[in-house]
Amino acid sequence: MALLSVDQLVTRFHTRDGVITAVDNVSFAVEPGQVLGIVGESGSGKSVACYSILGLIPSPPGRVEQGTALFGGQDLLKMTPQQLRRVRGQEIGLIFQDPMTSLNPHMTIGRQLTEPLRVHAHLSNTEAKQRAIAALEEVGIAHATQRFNSFPHEFSGGMRQRVMIAMALINRPKLLIADEPTTALDVTVQAQILQLIKNLQRDHNLSVIFISHDLGVVSEMADHVVVMQKGQVVEEGQPDAVFFRPQHPYTQQLVAALPNTAKPSVADFNAQDPVFLQVNHLCKEYKIRSGGFFKRLLTRVPAVADITFGLRRGEILGLVGESGSGKSTLGRTIVRLVEPDSGQIMLAGRDISAMSGEELRLTRRDFQIIFQDPYASLNPRLTVFDCLAEPLRVHKLVEKNQVLQRVNELMDEVGLDRRMIRKYPHEFSGGQRQRIAIARALAMRPKLIIADEPVSALDVTIQAQILKLLLHLTHKYQMAMLFISHDLAVVRYLSDRVVVMQNGKIVEEGETEALFASPQHPYTKTLLSAIPHLRRVD
Amino acid sequence: MLRIILQRLFTAIPVLFLVILVTFVLIRLAPGGPFDAERAVPAEVLENLNKRYKLNDPLPVQFFDYLSNLLRGDFGPSFKYPSRTVTEIINAGMPVTLELSVYALLVAVIFGIGAGVIAAMRPNTLQDYVPMSLAMLGICLPSFVLGPLLILFFAIGLEWLPVSGWGESPGDKILPAITLGAGYAAYIARLSRGGMLETLAQDYIRTARAKGLAEWRVVFVHALRGGLGPVVSFAGPAVAGLLSGSFVVETIYQIPGLGRFYLQGAFNRDYTMILGMTILFAFFIIVCNLLADIVQVWLNPRLRSLHGGKTA
Amino acid sequence: MNDLANMHYEKGRSLWQDAFSRLKNNRLALLSFAVLLLMVLLALLTPWIAPYSYEEQNLNLGASPPSMAHWLGTDVFGRDQLTRILYGSRISLMVGFIATSVALCIGVLWGTIAGYVGGRLDAFMMRFVDILYALPFTIFIILLTVVFGRSLLLLFLAIGAVEWLTMARIVRGQVLSLKHQEFIEAAVAMGFSRWRIMLRHLAPNVIGPIIIYTTLTIPSVILLESFLSFLGLGIQPPQSSWGSLISYGVETMEEYPWLLIFPALSLSLTLFALNFLGDGLRDALDPRVSKD
Repeated sequence: MALLSVDQLVTRFHTRDGVITAVDNVSFAVEPGQVLGIVGESGSGKSVACYSILGLIPSPPGRVEQGTALFGGQDLLKMTPQQLRRVRGQEIGLIFQDPMTSLNPHMTIGRQLTEPLRVHAHLSNTEAKQRAIAALEEVGIAHATQRFNSFPHEFSGGMRQRVMIAMALINRPKLLIADEPTTALDVTVQAQILQLIKNLQRDHNLSVIFISHDLGVVSEMADHVVVMQKGQVVEEGQPDAVFFRPQHPYTQQLVAALPNTAKPSVADFNAQDPVFLQVNHLCKEYKIRSGGFFKRLLTRVPAVADITFGLRRGEILGLVGESGSGKSTLGRTIVRLVEPDSGQIMLAGRDISAMSGEELRLTRRDFQIIFQDPYASLNPRLTVFDCLAEPLRVHKLVEKNQVLQRVNELMDEVGLDRRMIRKYPHEFSGGQRQRIAIARALAMRPKLIIADEPVSALDVTIQAQILKLLLHLTHKYQMAMLFISHDLAVVRYLSDRVVVMQNGKIVEEGETEALFASPQHPYTKTLLSAIPHLRRVD
Repeated sequence: MLRIILQRLFTAIPVLFLVILVTFVLIRLAPGGPFDAERAVPAEVLENLNKRYKLNDPLPVQFFDYLSNLLRGDFGPSFKYPSRTVTEIINAGMPVTLELSVYALLVAVIFGIGAGVIAAMRPNTLQDYVPMSLAMLGICLPSFVLGPLLILFFAIGLEWLPVSGWGESPGDKILPAITLGAGYAAYIARLSRGGMLETLAQDYIRTARAKGLAEWRVVFVHALRGGLGPVVSFAGPAVAGLLSGSFVVETIYQIPGLGRFYLQGAFNRDYTMILGMTILFAFFIIVCNLLADIVQVWLNPRLRSLHGGKTA
Repeated sequence: MNDLANMHYEKGRSLWQDAFSRLKNNRLALLSFAVLLLMVLLALLTPWIAPYSYEEQNLNLGASPPSMAHWLGTDVFGRDQLTRILYGSRISLMVGFIATSVALCIGVLWGTIAGYVGGRLDAFMMRFVDILYALPFTIFIILLTVVFGRSLLLLFLAIGAVEWLTMARIVRGQVLSLKHQEFIEAAVAMGFSRWRIMLRHLAPNVIGPIIIYTTLTIPSVILLESFLSFLGLGIQPPQSSWGSLISYGVETMEEYPWLLIFPALSLSLTLFALNFLGDGLRDALDPRVSKD
């Protein structure tokens, strides 16, 4: 007898621009003590489906129009709001993606933790506090009694998620719904949280619905998998079957898009080639000052601490690190968006770290940057044509009557339809916007490109396309590329060499395959072992 | 937290000093002395008066004199009514003006926040449109329009409430308080609606609902603190507005508060009077701003840490 | 080569177009705009269309209710109310636009510099604004009128000097949030000059909120002027401002209610229209709506 049985669920949103069917005839079931993984990209409806069951979708635009959701014999969709609240408080727990914004910043975590106990289980303040402290200890928060009175902003991301988990499980629910719980966390922290969820699941015989876009994570966690696309269930089954013998074309596409192989093309540069970009002893530190009028110096944070490396034309160097490692700062410093404190940045023998004014502006043609967020990196007021033509015009790279032709060529190169050049950024999808950003970076035929997490904000299938595009372009134009990412699988797919950063320092570097096969530094080892793989259970 | 309070206090004192200085200089710069408006005064008498009020001393000396008197709580004699000191006049009128302002503030805060929160709970429905339309009315009907209208309707027409006075007939404090507070209630209603809507869209409200909490608990225990931020920021300017707005209301309802004396002092160039009252008002406003700042920090725990709330 | 010229390009839809169509659908805002347009027109044409002059007295007539000769009645001195209200509208609208322009110029400049330069200068500039914001400005204006007499010019400047504070804050907020947007960094990375970035990339994205708050500042200014006139500190007779007309009206409201009602109605109507228009603009131009 399934713990939760959802049948033919339909949820629609009635917006000003039309009716959107977010969940289209979805059915799935969770057995007691089992982990159900729901996999899908953005817009698949995976989160909406689960929120619909709990009555958590915003009601004026959204409406559950059909279906049943049997939980413990009762249909959740037919319950009164009061009954449903009781279920949410005591039977089904929910944790979300971003622990920073999901906890109330104005309340101590102790108060937030004890709230479900006081409201639903009617415990007294003292009893609730005891239970809460025990819960904190169970999820691995040290000094639980003191931290009971702390505020969320005093915790790190991983610890906040632990608090969320403690809070969701505090009334001993039978089912936990985890909506992308580790997506916003570093890979090493993710591994810890996943382990925690597994332990809790085992200890309390908890059923879990684990929602994620990350196939590796779902593969590790789930006993049963459901794949969703555009609001529909396209495939389901055992993780082995779904991931290793996918039947539906979409699932096949998803699995194929995973960058879990080595770099497909052969390196087209020689070890003897001259180094094009040479970074020597680059340093950048941030000074944290106190607020208020006098702004005393509190601490110095070394974001980039004595970094040295080289890069050749045609070579892709992967820069890997978790948040706070300084990888982004390094990338920005190299393109002089951030001023270095000391060190050299040699580009074909010329030190660009010392340049300024007109000389710097002109030299910028040779090195460009692609950003992570495709929404924020394009000026919303410019058409695509204006956006791509601007660098051409400012640097007078082509004759006036050639501008349109060059723009069209750029569009072709990145795989976009030429007829779209009069459109505005908000009329394109995320992947298309990123292509525009790449075209813009390419417009000046730079010799060096810094790619700062360019695919991190994209869906896996789109990501695969953009990665192929980047490979193709670096090969075609013999560009040197510094590829910054926290995603090791992607880095492995794209890079010839890899550099691992931690706390502003390079802890290891080497050829990609060699590094992945036998990492030397303990941090690299931890990083690599934390990557969730598609697991085969034999 | 104490450090923050001390920091704010630190900046408040120079501001008060600046206000006193600027007001002092401005008034002394004004063409015409306090006695010019009267019927032509004979030269020797003028000379005597000037000497008595030390109007011939160099400005810095006058200023220091004034400051030292101020610290002893002495605002000096009124130029217009030589037999009374400014301090006496202030003591007579201040309680009235303060009382009026406090009532008006209560009206503004209670109705304003109430309307705003109610509207935010069900946006774009009748529960939203009605309070917000009333709020729009409050913003577009200034106190000197609303007041007379209220009098026409309630005092003259229905004869439920008295036309004027303060503390003389029962219920004569109701209309003035409403007249003064209405505009601010309206503005606060809009601010709190906006603040609440933005807060209710936050992720942690979704978490609160996911915990199965009743809607009233979600709104009042979880959302209110965040939603009231903009209202608290408005508190300082609101008090400034209430104090100056009281001039109009006191005029309409003939209330014997400070406003009336201030206006007369302005027309008569009664230096000490205007100077004294301006400083007094500035003082109140600065104190209220300080309190509002403290409330702001208390509401938002992130501001309590010294590095301005930057998370690790 | 030819097919480049003949190629059919799909038309784009800019954010301004989106905003405009949203505004068109807001009937209340459109109505308000029409009302305001009418008022401005009447105010401009007043010297030609007013039936009487604003100081022409008719003591025999005295205060009389609305009639065919005097559409809105007359006051105690027999002066035609319609004329006086029309001239009053000129004053109010003039103060509104001029003082707002003053506030706009100072506020935008202050806010842009503080936001763009940042650092210590920003901290100092905004602390200045914070301090001024908390002071009893109305009282200071009263003080100024006492010291320097009652001139229209002074009024404009003084009121403008009060209102620029909010504008500065809003502009600075916008500039700050934009400064760190990646498309600005991209423009820097592509070697564009500071001027180009400010004019082509920053400015078009800041104009929206500026338009909104300018529209909302005008009623604030008009209100302040009326307030001062009501207290007798603004426009002097025989010139009439709505505030002073209302002041007279209040004195005699029991016997001659029309002396209060019509000027009060004019003022309130104008404030309504401006506020509704401002709200409509805010709904139309809100950038958050067009993010996805």
